[in-house]
Amino acid sequence: MSYAYLFKYIIIGDTGVGKSCLLLQFTDKRFQPVHDLTIGVEFGARMITIDNKPIKLQIWDTAGQESFRSITRSYYRGAAGALLVYDITRQRETFNHLASWLEDARQHANANMTIMLIGNKCDLAHRRAVSTEEGEQFAKEHGLIFMEASAKTAQNVEEAFISTAATIYKKIQDGVFDVSNESYGIKVGYGGIPGPSGGRDGSASQAGGCCS
Amino acid sequence: MDFKLGRINLNAVAQGVGGLVFGNDTSASSEDSYVERLLDRISNGVLADDRRSAMSQLQSIVAESRAAQLAFGAMGFPVLTAVLKEERDDIEMVRGALETLVSALTPTDAAGGKKNEVQPTLMNSDLLSREADSIPLLLSLLEEVDFYVRYYTLQLLTALLTHSPNRLQEAILTTPRGITRLMDMLMEREVIRNEALLLLTYLTREAEEIQKIVVFEGAFEKIFSIIKEEGGSEGGVVVQDCLELLNNLLRRGASNQILLRETIGFEQLVSILKLRGSAYNFTQQKTVNLLGALESIELLLMGGLDAEPGKDFNRQSNQTAFAQRNVLDHLLLLGVESPWAAVSVRCAALRCIGVLISNHPLNLDALANKVLGEEPHFEPALNSIFRIILRTSSLQEFIAADYVFKCFCEKNTNGQAMLASTIIPQPHSGIRDPLDEDIKMPFGSMLLRGLTVNENDEDLETCWRAASVLSHILKGNIQSKERVLQVKLEAPMTSFGTPELLMHRIVKYLAVGASMSRNNGDCKTSTSSSCLYTQPIILRLLVTWLADCPNAVHSFLGSQDHLTYLLELVSSLSETVFIRGLSAVILGECVLYNKSDDNGMDAFEVVDAISQKIGLASYFLKFDEMQKSFPFLSAKASQHRKPLARSSAASMSEVENVEESTAIDPKHDEDPVLMSIFDGPFVSIIKRLETDIRQSIVEVFSHPKSKVAVVPAEMEQKDGESNEDYIKRLKSFVEKQCKELQDLLGRNATLAEDVAKTGGAGVSGSDQANGGKERVQAETLRRDLQEAKQRVEVLKSEKTKIEAEASIYRNLAGKMESDLKSLSDAYNSLEQVNFRLESDVKALREGRSEPGLDLEAIKAEGREEVQKESEAELNDLLVCLGQEQSKVERLSTRLVELGEDVDSLLEGIGDDVGLPEDSEDEEDR
Repeated sequence: MSYAYLFKYIIIGDTGVGKSCLLLQFTDKRFQPVHDLTIGVEFGARMITIDNKPIKLQIWDTAGQESFRSITRSYYRGAAGALLVYDITRQRETFNHLASWLEDARQHANANMTIMLIGNKCDLAHRRAVSTEEGEQFAKEHGLIFMEASAKTAQNVEEAFISTAATIYKKIQDGVFDVSNESYGIKVGYGGIPGPSGGRDGSASQAGGCCS
Repeated sequence: MDFKLGRINLNAVAQGVGGLVFGNDTSASSEDSYVERLLDRISNGVLADDRRSAMSQLQSIVAESRAAQLAFGAMGFPVLTAVLKEERDDIEMVRGALETLVSALTPTDAAGGKKNEVQPTLMNSDLLSREADSIPLLLSLLEEVDFYVRYYTLQLLTALLTHSPNRLQEAILTTPRGITRLMDMLMEREVIRNEALLLLTYLTREAEEIQKIVVFEGAFEKIFSIIKEEGGSEGGVVVQDCLELLNNLLRRGASNQILLRETIGFEQLVSILKLRGSAYNFTQQKTVNLLGALESIELLLMGGLDAEPGKDFNRQSNQTAFAQRNVLDHLLLLGVESPWAAVSVRCAALRCIGVLISNHPLNLDALANKVLGEEPHFEPALNSIFRIILRTSSLQEFIAADYVFKCFCEKNTNGQAMLASTIIPQPHSGIRDPLDEDIKMPFGSMLLRGLTVNENDEDLETCWRAASVLSHILKGNIQSKERVLQVKLEAPMTSFGTPELLMHRIVKYLAVGASMSRNNGDCKTSTSSSCLYTQPIILRLLVTWLADCPNAVHSFLGSQDHLTYLLELVSSLSETVFIRGLSAVILGECVLYNKSDDNGMDAFEVVDAISQKIGLASYFLKFDEMQKSFPFLSAKASQHRKPLARSSAASMSEVENVEESTAIDPKHDEDPVLMSIFDGPFVSIIKRLETDIRQSIVEVFSHPKSKVAVVPAEMEQKDGESNEDYIKRLKSFVEKQCKELQDLLGRNATLAEDVAKTGGAGVSGSDQANGGKERVQAETLRRDLQEAKQRVEVLKSEKTKIEAEASIYRNLAGKMESDLKSLSDAYNSLEQVNFRLESDVKALREGRSEPGLDLEAIKAEGREEVQKESEAELNDLLVCLGQEQSKVERLSTRLVELGEDVDSLLEGIGDDVGLPEDSEDEEDR
């Protein structure tokens, strides 16, 4: 259970672009072609390693439907990273809405939130409606990291989550965040100084004692 | 008029309402104008000091008088909202405005009043929450630096929440960062923190979205850090609030449970159970805190709501995670080894043990191997829990401990076998008290003693409790059932008694229990719960035991009295629906699982007994009656335990009263013990059994045990079998079939009567079942009829064959007759010759006398010779005739048997037959 840092992520984007599938692929390494509509917000978690440090990712998968917008807004501020997802086969609906999502994020999130733009479903190349260049262009204009990925083939899924974490980690090293303030979506873990994993549980509970 | 005015002048409305509420009280109007004047000073005043003092006057009058509250509601909100919006810099004014608002929403002390009066506080909170921007405004005030501003704001929000929860929840959800602000309050100074805690507890009670956001904002960490700060279970009411908030967050979603497990784990929750230092000292607050923590553990161990997908996986993960934190030790300490803890705490701990082990192989083993006590007084934990079952004076505790065994035995064949293997009767020795803690005996011996020890006292208290545990051990485990079937008890009282089967003894207790409840008449007044529970629990034991176990059925039916007694129970009107229903299920099992061939106890006999003594329709009606009561029970069960909440009035006394209130209630359908008997799995077993029983009874009727085997080959005449024997054999066969037909008709009539009786009652379910049986029955009868027809056909052809034979004989007889005729003709001609000769001789004698002598002698000689000759011939003829006669006689009797009119048949011949007789007569002459 011990980790050096805990990062909170949110996944946002239009309904049906594959947000929940990306999360499932990342946490469970499986793909579910038919997924129920997400109601409100769902939760997933996974441990990753960056710079030899164990980092826990808490990921909140939001509902893309308009009717849930006001609820999902509550999750922006406390998140360190956001995955903004569109569907490369549906230009009009999903790519064109990116601006409005971004505006929401800028308005409610903390200014230092790291945003990763993901063009999902890149396995469906024959139905592509948004070119890679267009995606890159949009990301560049708005200062986002960009990647095309496929929740179905798992291509770039790990990379997307991990490179977001790496960016956040670098910001911490650069002193951008006041990590003692939890409202940035970052928490310093009990195992703050990561070392060999011996006596994990014991150290966790002890550290818990002095932490509160 | 009033209405019209009201639209123009708010003041008039207030007056109108005030007048309505307070009748002719003139003070109302004076307060109205006073409030109006104060509001006017606040909104239009120029001097800051004057406005402040107006505000404080307004606050104090609103806090004291209902009339002022009413007047304020009608006029004041726009004024004060304006202050809050536009005068943020004037902290004192903002404070005053907030305090006034709080007062306007808080009932005055004097507000006893009449019930049907308008509640000004309700009206005011409705007015305030209706205002679209008032909630965002209040939430924004939480960011103010001033302590009182935040404090009053929180109080105001809480008051709004209690009066109009839905509107407030919605408003908070749609306000960006609304909940974030509230969550930040948890890190504030104590007073504000506690206030915010209370507010969040109210907010999270229903709204799932709010629960998730609160968790997202790190509620778990904050909750546990506050609990730790406040001293864990030793802490005060704040700890209770924290735990209530925690339970709100865990109650619904597996998602939140996963988050707790994955991010901070269960260590801190388990550590709340640790009893520090003064372990004997359980204050009421500590009891409530422990109950809260135990509820959290139970919620986590159940894994969320039933319908949720992935619930089982989450439940197992939680069970494993808790086991790693040694929660079992803490639970056993609280549930089994803390007699000084409140009963409710012990029960909650036992229930947690149950859900901890339920369907979790590792945890089941852990409990099975757990040993309690200190050297040398080790005792298996299960034995200690069983002792609680036998000994506790609280029904709640019995149910909780019984639940542990129920969970332990559920899908745990090895565990059941382990417990069953120790059930060995021990010789009666001086030690008679199984409740004595100093005597450590194996589990099984404790169980047997518990079952049998109290019978002399006419009190079956320990008996039904032990029977309940035994039914868990036997449930679905054929080996255990067979094993316990073998258990024989020494007859304790009779010196000559032979060992008695445990099962038969238990049935005896069933009867004793019934007679007890009859004698006691009114069980409610009896201090002993025996008469209430002995019957249903023993019946459940038998239902469980007989299921899928032909040997148990055989053993049960081993005594004829058992069947008779059950039939009596099913039809007894003085018993409850459940007792009749369960008895009916047992009867059904005696049919369904009956593999016996013995006469008097096979499935057919049982079915016959049911249809004769009870009637099939009313028998099945017992199932329906019981079924109808099930959903009622389960509905009750779900709302049985309501969450403990500080807000629900006087929770302290509630904790103390939990058991009494439920234990005293004598109503069957709300009885906690009955509810634990008819738990989900048992109800579904009964439902499954019922369908099987219906089917098997239909089967018994459609394939009645045939007493006469119909083998076509035997219908043929055997080689060498005489006609007569053949006919006899066929006749007896037909007779047997006829008798069986009568039996079937009788059964059919019983059924028809049954149907007729219930037909009007509209019990369509059982009606249809019976209709089906009728049809099956009719089918069988039709088949029998056809068989009989065929047999008649065979007999007919038989008859024509015989008739043909008869005509052959008739022809034969005709030939004989014609032979006879020719013989008699011959005789006649001889006679004539003789006559001629005689006349010749006469003539000669007259001519010559001497030679006449010789001639006379010769003549006599010759006549003698002729006569001899014809006599021999006649004799032959007569013998032959006699034979023919007897042949005809035999044939004609046989023909008569076959229903042929012999006289008419023989009519033609009769005249001819007379001839030989005539000739005989002639001869005699």
